[in-house]
Amino acid sequence: MSGGSRDRRAELTLGALAVGVLALIALMIVVVFTKAWPSFSHNGLSWFGSGGDADVQLKAMVQNTPLPGHSIYYFRAWPLLWGTLVTTGLAVLIGLVFSTFAAVFIVEFAPDAVRRVLDPVVRLLAAVPSVVYGLIGILAIAPWVERNLISQQRKHSVQEIVQLTGANLGLAILILTVMITPIMVSITSRSLAAVPQTWTEGSAALGVNRWRTMRRVSLRTARPAIIAGAVLATARALGEAIMLSMVSGSRGFAANPLDGTTFLFEPVRPLAATIISYVDGLSVVPLAQTLYAMAAVLLVSSALLSLAGWGAKQPLKKYGIRA
Amino acid sequence: MNAVAADPPAKPRNKPRDSIRSWPLTDRIAYGLCWAAGIALCAIAAWIVLYMAIKGVSYLKPSLLVRSPVGSPNQSASGGFLDPIEGTFLVTAIGIAVAAPLGVAVAVWLSEYARPAGLARAVESGVETIAGTPSVVLAIFGLLVFSKSFLAFLSQTSAGGAVFGRSFLTAGLTMSLLAVPLIVGATREALAQVPAHVREASYALGKTKATTIRRVLLPSVRPSIASGITLGMGRIIGDTAIIVILLGASLRLEGAGGAPVLSILRGTGSTLTSYVKENSPAGEGNAPQKAYAAAFVLLVIVIGLNAIVVRLSGGQARADGTV
Amino acid sequence: MRRPSRTATISLIAALALAAPATAGARALLLSGSTSIFPLMTQLASAYHKATRQPTPKVGQGTSDAGINEVAAGKVDIGDVSRDPIVGVDPHGLVFTKIARDGVCVITSPGNPVTNLSQQEVQSIFTGNVRDWGEVPGAKISGSIDLVDRVASSGTQDAFQNIFLGETLKISPSAEAEESNGLVQNKIRSDTNAIGFVSFAFTTGTNAVGYQGIPCTLNNAKSGQYQGVRNFWMVTKGAPKGPAAKLIAWITSGNKATKKIIGSDWIPIH
Repeated sequence: MSGGSRDRRAELTLGALAVGVLALIALMIVVVFTKAWPSFSHNGLSWFGSGGDADVQLKAMVQNTPLPGHSIYYFRAWPLLWGTLVTTGLAVLIGLVFSTFAAVFIVEFAPDAVRRVLDPVVRLLAAVPSVVYGLIGILAIAPWVERNLISQQRKHSVQEIVQLTGANLGLAILILTVMITPIMVSITSRSLAAVPQTWTEGSAALGVNRWRTMRRVSLRTARPAIIAGAVLATARALGEAIMLSMVSGSRGFAANPLDGTTFLFEPVRPLAATIISYVDGLSVVPLAQTLYAMAAVLLVSSALLSLAGWGAKQPLKKYGIRA
Repeated sequence: MNAVAADPPAKPRNKPRDSIRSWPLTDRIAYGLCWAAGIALCAIAAWIVLYMAIKGVSYLKPSLLVRSPVGSPNQSASGGFLDPIEGTFLVTAIGIAVAAPLGVAVAVWLSEYARPAGLARAVESGVETIAGTPSVVLAIFGLLVFSKSFLAFLSQTSAGGAVFGRSFLTAGLTMSLLAVPLIVGATREALAQVPAHVREASYALGKTKATTIRRVLLPSVRPSIASGITLGMGRIIGDTAIIVILLGASLRLEGAGGAPVLSILRGTGSTLTSYVKENSPAGEGNAPQKAYAAAFVLLVIVIGLNAIVVRLSGGQARADGTV
Repeated sequence: MRRPSRTATISLIAALALAAPATAGARALLLSGSTSIFPLMTQLASAYHKATRQPTPKVGQGTSDAGINEVAAGKVDIGDVSRDPIVGVDPHGLVFTKIARDGVCVITSPGNPVTNLSQQEVQSIFTGNVRDWGEVPGAKISGSIDLVDRVASSGTQDAFQNIFLGETLKISPSAEAEESNGLVQNKIRSDTNAIGFVSFAFTTGTNAVGYQGIPCTLNNAKSGQYQGVRNFWMVTKGAPKGPAAKLIAWITSGNKATKKIIGSDWIPIH
């Protein structure tokens, strides 16, 4: 029957396209890990360790001149990994607190007029392109920071090792937090609004005030969604390359928390920003393999995050609330 | 994102209200923090919009929109950004032209066929993986793939036989990967919400599955497909990493030589995002006024697209990218 | 629906098939490399197109070493390199053709118009021995010195190292390493405490510091009085052939157009 064969053909075509997409992703994963392997195999686990300036090592690869005593593949990614950990970690932490309070505000305490304003505000903040955030950071905020917050003594205190400018760790964390908060606010507020009304009303009937009801009933119910939101935000923060390459300072330097508040003014360069900075040198084989190794680390992290997100959503299904 | 339950009914007007004065101190502090977070969100968004509006309007002249950029060291005096605007349009058009049919096809397969089940789950994870991959990683993978000789027709080739790998076609094709998860998500959610009886009625009339999909289901979810496509466009327009790596850094649209339209597609150029980066202090152009003007235009485009998404989805759009 | 889709597919394949040989004809040259040579090469490229009607060569930039690597890998046709060839480090088989000479100036911010520095002073500043402007005679400000360096793959950094610092001394590792001349220029313009070095074409908006008593101007560089001068090379894999040879021949022919362009900010040698 022609209808049946057409049906079969449609299914096969659509299936082929879907499998094609899957094959493309599988190819990407295979290619990235294959290209990354030499860098990992030459350095072993100390690829993740510290040992010298990452920028110097990368540039030695571009110049075809191995550093004395090491092979051309020598690379220690710790300053970059530390930069990624600190920027992403602190941004997600601060963003989590900020977004939770904001979501509670939107769902519970905001007057209707304010709530009507806040919905488009959150959408707006999520829609701003990262390069605009970077532009504002580097043209408006960085000079102000450099003039007012970085004094001569502060500069002198670390002058032997690094120079302080307005583009630093603090600015990176600030802008990254603003970028990822809308995602978390959106997911958290939706989940808080979906808490069964009988529960919140029951709590109110027992004489619990609105904040305590939020804290003990709604936030606890929404906890898996909050975690899912945090996972999404972390993935976004990890993958952010352009904004961070503009505002986080141009050195792969491991900012030292023992420096006190100066820690926030030291330059860093997270992994994704490093890949973008060195992409001109991709025709040099060792450098390309090191960059692919960094990409592999990013891929593995986002895969682990996805897994964590999936795991966090499972308990939520028990209540019939889907996030 | 997974399908969501229908939004809960709006909260009734007469919520139980207790006076804040009766609350213990810690709860009052929390209440204040919630208000602070909400106001802070509004304040940040207002500051960004006002700052960009003031700077953008003060530096944006209509002539900038219609003149091509001039590659002179004195950027602030001459030239506009017509070519970057054309570039943005071109890359988005190519990206959506590939992503829309692909995304809808994958979504339809996942929603209506999905046999065998293991393959369907694999495709689902594949799409989620793309969604979670940083765009830098997609870009360097794209550069690798498009530098292979069998794909040389997509870009230029140098004398040594090496494929340049950077052109509008290559950038657009890689950009389509960014939009596919958004289109797949929006379409799947909408298809899931079409009631079973619609499909059954169509089968009862003797229509095959393929015809049902084409004539009944797809037209009914057209608004959601449109929102998904608009979300994808917003994502593509805002991305800079793929442009920086895959578009070749030429200020103007430079064709590859040969047939007129194909020459532009295989040639290099710039987009508004890379133009903003170039003219910021992180780039060479040293024309912050132009950067502000271009960033303002970019912001207006993205906000406009966002408003369209809201209109299309009947006010249900979310900041986390789901509809 | 069958007939329209089949016609569409056939016409698409036909269009691509026709387009392929059509695009096989005129192909623009690809160049990349030194950020110092970039402004010169872009001007030469459009003048070349005007003079010979050949397609305009496309010029990219990514530092001299990146240019060398790309031309060795065959990714570009010609590499722009602003440092002399280094035997044993550069890939084999590359041919360097000199096209011009260029001055390298030490620059400070307009808010700190230092008129002259001796070799001793330049060395002690850039190696990090002197850290405060108060210790530099002729400085108009006080405060910590912000050193601006280039990335290690830069030809300009190589030239600065050789000419101003000599064999043994190295620039302080705490200096901020910028990717290109343009970024150094940006940094110096916006930071009053900064000091760096750029190719002569990038000194607008900054204060060019004299060296050993000779101001860093184009005339002094052309006359040979100013010592901070280095070579510009165009590098090909093997001897230049075909369209690349035509371009290099035109640039090194010493015709009026090239002389005018090179003479504007650089030192012609042909």
